[in-house]
Amino acid sequence: MLQGSFYSIREAFGRTLVKLGEEDKDIVVITADVGDSTRASYFREKFPDRYFNVGISEQDMVNFAAGLAAVGKKPVVADFAMFTMRAWEQIRNTTGRMNLNIKFTVTHSGYSDSGDGSSHQALEDIALMRTIPNFKVVVPADAAEVERSLPVIIKEQGPIYYRMGREYSPSITTGMDYKFEIGKAYVLKDGDDLAIMGAGVVLWDALKAAEELEKMGISTAVINVPTIKPIDENTIEYYARKTGRIVTVEEHTIYGGVGSAIAEVVVQKYPVPMRFIGSTTFGRSARSQRELLDYYGINAENIIKKALELMK
Amino acid sequence: MGERDGIPISIDELNKLKAIAERARRNVIKMQFYDHSIHVGSSLSSIEILTTLIFRYIRDGQEKINKDWLILSKGHAAPALYAVLHEKGLIKEEELWKIQAIDGLLQGHPEVYIPGVDMSTGSLGQGLSFGIGVATGIKMARGNGRVFVIMGDGEQDEGEVWEAATHAVARNLDNLIAFIEVNGYQLDARTSEVKPKDFLPDVYKAIGWRTFSCDGHDILSIINAVEEALKARKPAVIFAKTLRGKGFTPIENTKIQRANPDVARQFLLNT
Repeated sequence: MLQGSFYSIREAFGRTLVKLGEEDKDIVVITADVGDSTRASYFREKFPDRYFNVGISEQDMVNFAAGLAAVGKKPVVADFAMFTMRAWEQIRNTTGRMNLNIKFTVTHSGYSDSGDGSSHQALEDIALMRTIPNFKVVVPADAAEVERSLPVIIKEQGPIYYRMGREYSPSITTGMDYKFEIGKAYVLKDGDDLAIMGAGVVLWDALKAAEELEKMGISTAVINVPTIKPIDENTIEYYARKTGRIVTVEEHTIYGGVGSAIAEVVVQKYPVPMRFIGSTTFGRSARSQRELLDYYGINAENIIKKALELMK
Repeated sequence: MGERDGIPISIDELNKLKAIAERARRNVIKMQFYDHSIHVGSSLSSIEILTTLIFRYIRDGQEKINKDWLILSKGHAAPALYAVLHEKGLIKEEELWKIQAIDGLLQGHPEVYIPGVDMSTGSLGQGLSFGIGVATGIKMARGNGRVFVIMGDGEQDEGEVWEAATHAVARNLDNLIAFIEVNGYQLDARTSEVKPKDFLPDVYKAIGWRTFSCDGHDILSIINAVEEALKARKPAVIFAKTLRGKGFTPIENTKIQRANPDVARQFLLNT
């Protein structure tokens, strides 16, 4: 196991993909000229005959993968989250309608492409992808969870949108001992007064916030919800009942994203007051992802603020 | 290679194919009695190409890499596909009359759960990329399957077609044959009024495709073009001159997709 041995989401992705490629010869990797940036290049070096760079052509990339899937290959599409969305209609109309076995393993989501600015920062992709029938949507929390979950994702039959960032990967699940299952939420920290739920690297801020809240005497649970669809209704309902207050956090728009998906469960199963933390507008350039998370208030400080609102 | 490739067609077989195409044509015209919104004009443009491919070239099979694939990228010609698949025995007659009905099998555009359909289409410009994926997968597995993709001339407006056109050449595929029906119309107007189209064969050739042409309503001409295309050792495209609404005089060679049902009924009675 390479688990936790490096500190970058895309490095974890690139290296794990090579291991999986050794085990399953039907895996083919397809990119739209971002092999190096996504680290799919490691697969290219090892298996050049099973690696396809279609050029800067995302729509063609998606339906080329669909054709390969139709004859029994297991395509893994490695691309930026933002530009994969350029082919959302191809994904919806061909991959989705035909229920094809394609894995969209995207990187550079959220603010992770900090320098390139708003054109490259996918903050709407979870909302777009979870609307497509047959699709599952998974957002790993950190590099360790990529190593743990990618083998499960690749083995699962059917289309999956698997959303990763780039380098930034504060340790959230490193060293934790659990078997990753699609559709399951994981308790990072238990608590009774309030639950913070979310997905992705921002769970690090959730854990920091919980630490501070505990010091104030507020017993705070932190729930990692890596599978946005199908979502773990039981765990969400359990913590709604147990704590009576939920703050959601995501590196994505709050309109239709992780918080919305959790709220859809809460309002139907056991309504409790909620607060949503995420983006509400386009991003901008910065020297680091961390700066942007702080700039847009997707951080521990803001989680604490919202939590205290709920505790009033 | 298909076992019948290269074998000259007999007069008997040619007459048989013509009769099939004629029955399919009448059934498409008849379908509009039951659902007035189907694309009759575009469907009648495709009848002979579909008949020739399905009855002479497409080898069915369970093995994905050793069968031939037929991708109707211009999915709005679905009624023509269904009518020819009915002649092949894959779709029951009563289903033809239930096209687009809530309790029917046949959708407005092809879906893979309909027998004989290899790709769910309907959104234009997607079939060629899919065909390249299938053709590449077949070659990786050393299968002998071939891929036929049928597009329209209006469909060439789509950007994805051009992403795919250069991609097919980069993959050096010799098991991929595209048809482009040149009927000169798209939904709103003559194709030439919307965007220039006359350059298409030159551009495909310049990109690296082998280009061929045929009369898309003359089965012999279609066969000759396919035979040449199969020998191309490169991605091959056949420009098939066709007419919108071919054989249905009330709408033939116009942008009009369908006639008044009474007019259609009268037409079938008189011919």
